[in-house]
Amino acid sequence: MESLNANLLHPRQRVGENIQRWREADGGEALRLAAQDPAAVLTAVQDADLRGLGGSGFPVWRKWQAVANEAPRPDKYLVCNGNEDEPGTFKDRLLLEETPHQVIEGALLAALATGINRVVFYVNPDLTRSLAALQAALAQWQGSDMLQQAGDVLGRPITMALVPGSGHYIGGEETAALEWIEGKFPFPRGKPPYPAQFGIYGCPTLINNIETLANIPAIVRRGADWFRNLGLGQATGSKLYSLSGDVLHPGVYELPMGTTLHDLVFTHGGGLLSGKPLKAVFTGGPSNTLLAPEDLDVGLDFDSLRERGASLGTGAMIVVSEGTGIVRQVAEYMRFFAHSSCGQCVSCKTGTATLSRLIDRIDTGRGTAADLATIENLCRMLPGSGRCHLVNGVAQLVESSFRHFRHEYQQALK
Amino acid sequence: MKRGLSLQDALAAYRPDAELAPPPKQIDPDALLNAYHPDHLRDGMATLAVGPNAGAQCPRELADLLQAEAYIDEVDLAGAEVTDTDVLVIGGGGAGCAAALAAAEHGAHVLLATKLRLGDSNTVMAEGGLQAAIEPDDSVQQHLQDTLRAGHHAGDPALVAALVGDGPEVIRWLIRQGMQFDQTASGDLHTRRAGGISAPRIVHCRDYTGLEMMRVLREAVIQHRGIEVWSQAPAVELLSNESGRKCVGAVLGSLDGQKLRIVRARSVILATGGIGRLHLHGFPTSNHLGATGDGLVLAYRIGARLCELDSFQYHPTGLVNPPYLSGKLVTEGIRAAGALLLNAEGRRFIDELQPRDVVSAAIIRECREGRGIHPDTGGVGVWLDTARLERSQPGLIEQQFPKLLARSRIAGIDPRRNPVLVYPTLHYQNGGAVIDANGATTVAGLYAAGEVAGGIHGRNRIMGNALLEIISFGRRAGFAAALAGHDRGPKKITLEHVNQARRALTLAGMPLTRHAPQMLPAYTAPGKEIWKA
Repeated sequence: MESLNANLLHPRQRVGENIQRWREADGGEALRLAAQDPAAVLTAVQDADLRGLGGSGFPVWRKWQAVANEAPRPDKYLVCNGNEDEPGTFKDRLLLEETPHQVIEGALLAALATGINRVVFYVNPDLTRSLAALQAALAQWQGSDMLQQAGDVLGRPITMALVPGSGHYIGGEETAALEWIEGKFPFPRGKPPYPAQFGIYGCPTLINNIETLANIPAIVRRGADWFRNLGLGQATGSKLYSLSGDVLHPGVYELPMGTTLHDLVFTHGGGLLSGKPLKAVFTGGPSNTLLAPEDLDVGLDFDSLRERGASLGTGAMIVVSEGTGIVRQVAEYMRFFAHSSCGQCVSCKTGTATLSRLIDRIDTGRGTAADLATIENLCRMLPGSGRCHLVNGVAQLVESSFRHFRHEYQQALK
Repeated sequence: MKRGLSLQDALAAYRPDAELAPPPKQIDPDALLNAYHPDHLRDGMATLAVGPNAGAQCPRELADLLQAEAYIDEVDLAGAEVTDTDVLVIGGGGAGCAAALAAAEHGAHVLLATKLRLGDSNTVMAEGGLQAAIEPDDSVQQHLQDTLRAGHHAGDPALVAALVGDGPEVIRWLIRQGMQFDQTASGDLHTRRAGGISAPRIVHCRDYTGLEMMRVLREAVIQHRGIEVWSQAPAVELLSNESGRKCVGAVLGSLDGQKLRIVRARSVILATGGIGRLHLHGFPTSNHLGATGDGLVLAYRIGARLCELDSFQYHPTGLVNPPYLSGKLVTEGIRAAGALLLNAEGRRFIDELQPRDVVSAAIIRECREGRGIHPDTGGVGVWLDTARLERSQPGLIEQQFPKLLARSRIAGIDPRRNPVLVYPTLHYQNGGAVIDANGATTVAGLYAAGEVAGGIHGRNRIMGNALLEIISFGRRAGFAAALAGHDRGPKKITLEHVNQARRALTLAGMPLTRHAPQMLPAYTAPGKEIWKA
């Protein structure tokens, strides 16, 4: 059943760096089509309603349009963001490891559609196997006919480079990635100007997640309608869900966008370990939220989740069974975020540290009602105060754990 | 098992002055081992179904624990106090103390958690001594060959090379710590020979070398400012990072209360000792109360590979009578001094100076074939003929084996007048967690030292190498753990490896009803769930 839905992870696509077998599976076909009509790529992506799958859910074509409208100064950059470091997310590493050519083709299609001549693959340095596969795949593209042809269509040669990230969590933030690629510490930049206007070395820069780019070849090859029909309800396409936590079969599942949480956890994940009841699901991504058992019927797509006050994020679903303390889980996340804050915005640096300290205090049974009030105040004050979204995500996580599990915080008070 | 004579009948038939025929010509030792040694008991063995050693054989008692469910869940950690340290050492015996001292020497903050009290260990029971090639006509090469040969060449040569190479330095270090050794008249270290050893190499302190060693280590640990000791704090579970593949600390319980404490550490060193108190195949044991194999269980659950799980050493001469002393050792030295082994018929049945595993197998054969002696209080055994030894060498027992005499006196037996009933006793775990020369297991952040580690002794250990190993590899693990601790630390501390183990057990169709580690022997009443409300 899973392979019926599989597009990115269809067994035919999972050939690793073997370019021959990839070409047998229609690899390179989309690039050939795009060479005939580069402008059609953007239209197809727009019609397909492809969203940013790195967690934003932002329509991809709008980003592309912005970059396409800019003139090269003298270059235009594409950053393929594979810094994947969100808790519970492990889909990009699989794509890079098993279908690197699909990702590269997607990146070149994006480059053709928006007039980009420099492509940078930006990958988390800890993902050694993904790095190795991508490197081997890129080596086969360098000097190949396909790359040559793409350059001819564009009117100037396209260069591709692999840049391992810094290993910092914050390095996955768009503008932090730009800083690192420029050779600086990955501090997020203030916005505006947006990368589309002022990116790497001031050149217009497009940043897309690996999974987003991997979807492009099939859209070009098989058409926007096909892609739209993959999704359930209003949602379009398929999605890689990273399922982990207390389920019997954790792993990456490619399912129609909009699959319900119940289906993911019970049909595909094999249900909960030891048959315990479900308590909550942490969704991973730039804004971490919680889903409670009453959300089991929700379709896992950007819009349906937003209606419930949650967000799809990267598609990571960390399942937590009854018998797990929510306060401790949140405390663990907070420690991670406080540790990950780059420290350039004072509100984030001190805000995350203070939140972490307060929740730790409650978790270890030393918290008071005043601490709880302070946390709530902070959650109101902090969002929007930083250059990037880290502090917003932190506040959202705490807030949504309050919404569903306030009683657990109160029980733990002194 | 055929029944032999009762104790009264055997005592009545016993004649200390009877003429004895020499033991029968040695039969094939491999055949003897195969037929009678407990390692070859097929029906007592189980095949592991899950974990890194899936498919391997080990005794059923151990398999049950290795494939058991953890005691705790995430929810049990709610409200637990969290302590941070650089190095967490689990185990307060010789290896644990040596590791803690070595790590602290390198500037790490060390937390040493011990299930019972500091020094409650098998280290203190070691009588003979420790091996080190320090004599002029000896060499580490010879030591290496002796160790490998005795282990039936199953040991890892790299680990054995590290062990024997450390020998002289270990002695030097112990002397610096203040340990006393027996000396010759000229002030050199006195060395002894032992079975299977090609040169005099055993350095010793009377017949309580381990006790003296532990005295010194214990004082050094207590005095060191960089080491904090938590007593009566058994490790309930290890902690892993979010992928469940790296060890980042441990959950400690307590023997007196219900409290769980979380220790977050950059490195964890397991020094939990052996498994005698699991009483494999129903054997008595010479081990101390805490030897329940906790380290093996914890290491296996987090994914560390183990080795030689089916190989244990059974010391031939453990006491049988009275029952509360059952399994306590009578030193090998008394056989070296000339004491013979007799069956119920008063006949010798084996050359007493064969290797331990062969002598043990022969005793088991005699008892199983109806030539054993059965006391009313249960158990079975053969005679260790101390009375004959006393007749041939009067005063020797009092002079050289005061421990045996003292112990017998409590039990109302005089070994100078009557023979002593003995039966093989579970003594040492030859295998354990697979380590490299730094004591690192196959799981990042997790080290192992001492009896819980494997790969050094192969399938049989020679006398004197255990005490050497705990210091040598204890210190190696301590150094490596102290130096390894400069990564950025885990994103999360979790019980993810417990989930993974639970998942594997569910998929393999195994029950989740049994819990491990065991922590205290089954017969200590409150032992099982002592920290749980």
